[in-house]
Amino acid sequence: MSASLLRLDGVCKDFDLGRGRSLRAVDRVSFEVEKSSICVLLGPSGCGKSTVLRMIAGLEEPSDGQVLLQGQPVDGPGRDRGMVFQAYTSFDWMSVRKNVEFGMRINGISAAERRERAEHFIKLVGLGKFIDAYPTQLSGGMRQRVAIARTLANGPELLLMDEPFGALDAETRWHMQELMIEVANEEQTSMVIVTHDIEEAIFLADKIIFLSSHPGRLKEEIIPEFKIGHRIADKEQIIQLPGYAELERKIMRLMREEGTRE
Amino acid sequence: MSERNLKPTRKRRLLEVRKAVSRRQVILSALAIWGLFFGAWIISSAAGLVNDLLVPAPQQVFSALYELIAERGFIGDIGISIVRVLVAFIMAAVVAVPLGVLMGTFPAIEAFFAPFVSAWRYLPAPSFIPILLMWFGTGEAPKLALLFIGVIFFLITLVMDATKNVRRELIETALTLGANRSITVFNVVLPAVLPDIMVAMRQMLAMTWTYLVIAEIVASTTGIGAMMMRARRFLSTDEILAGILVIGALGLLFDILFAALHRWMFPYLREKR
Repeated sequence: MSASLLRLDGVCKDFDLGRGRSLRAVDRVSFEVEKSSICVLLGPSGCGKSTVLRMIAGLEEPSDGQVLLQGQPVDGPGRDRGMVFQAYTSFDWMSVRKNVEFGMRINGISAAERRERAEHFIKLVGLGKFIDAYPTQLSGGMRQRVAIARTLANGPELLLMDEPFGALDAETRWHMQELMIEVANEEQTSMVIVTHDIEEAIFLADKIIFLSSHPGRLKEEIIPEFKIGHRIADKEQIIQLPGYAELERKIMRLMREEGTRE
Repeated sequence: MSERNLKPTRKRRLLEVRKAVSRRQVILSALAIWGLFFGAWIISSAAGLVNDLLVPAPQQVFSALYELIAERGFIGDIGISIVRVLVAFIMAAVVAVPLGVLMGTFPAIEAFFAPFVSAWRYLPAPSFIPILLMWFGTGEAPKLALLFIGVIFFLITLVMDATKNVRRELIETALTLGANRSITVFNVVLPAVLPDIMVAMRQMLAMTWTYLVIAEIVASTTGIGAMMMRARRFLSTDEILAGILVIGALGLLFDILFAALHRWMFPYLREKR
């Protein structure tokens, strides 16, 4: 758990507003993500958490500072940092199996291995029965599982998720959250997850990076101490743990401070 | 839901805002409007309400059509017209589809071609007829050129816009899975936009028919349009109307074929939720 996988070092992002003006969206953000850990970026809207995630993915370039993956500066998107988006990204013209095989296919993995890995991850996300269906035949939650299986099957060092369950209804959402804990335990996946949902953050995170808004700055690094060493894969169980309610109150206070500051 | 259906609380009115009507009503309505049209036509001809030299009765039109096909080799004219439409349309599509996809994918390519393409779109293609005749003489070339010019710039724009509508997340997903540029274009952008390209082609094929008729009326001795212009000289209004009928039927036929091709090529769109 202690080896550092990802490091952000004074990362800034300025957006050009035209006529020589610019807006600082992210300001000197630094943190580390340990191997096999789940790091959650949390904060009110406008705190630049998605922008931070996109810079880790290499889809945006930092205006200043560095993103280092295993000590190497990130240069553009790559298969070592797979990303799951809030919007559906299934390739509608391919079956679930072909979707999940896509990353491996373009990276030259042999057909036999592709097949085996695809089946493994499709089963892991509970879509075994739908392996030959088209995504258009699936519900929103199932499509999001396809996206997760597709990214995991590609074997990334780091799984990035940008509000992945934001578009799902409440019940599907907590099923998916429990699924992510199972996946993290079973596959030892390292994850960075963006959310604005406090409950989701506490449930998933080994570490919460709380960002303040306008511009996005690191406000606090929070470790949910009550679950150190053992993640809890059951939502009902976690809310009864001593320390849960206190942490939730603390984060709500942080959110409120940010909200009234504007 | 079903319980409510058993006891309708409100009478259904003829006009309901955005409420789907039954399949039966759709078919009956379609038959009714055409029945009205032909009925009015037959009655006004029979009652002598219109000059039958200018507006021949429907039965006259159909018998003229039969005569044209059976005795005057009209099938040949129809064949020539179809070949012209298809050849010109395929030539335009071969250029327009790849260019439109590239313009919609790479802003640098769009920046170069878009100012040119959008200017040409505002030039009415028929305005080129005199110069096309001078350049290409009276053979097939000027007709094909007119259809080509008339269609290609619209097709490029439609394909480009459709390509731009491919969601950014799809492209970014491919990139974070390790796709390079060519894989992103050929394995993600192209298959994602293909259904919309087919729709654009279907619309533009209809437009190709429009330009075909113009080309054949203005400068041709063969084809459906030329037959109609010949008929005008002999005051054969029944043959002119037969020509219009054939053009309409062909347009409809091609549209249905394209729709069937669309369903066959993209089975996954059929079950869209």
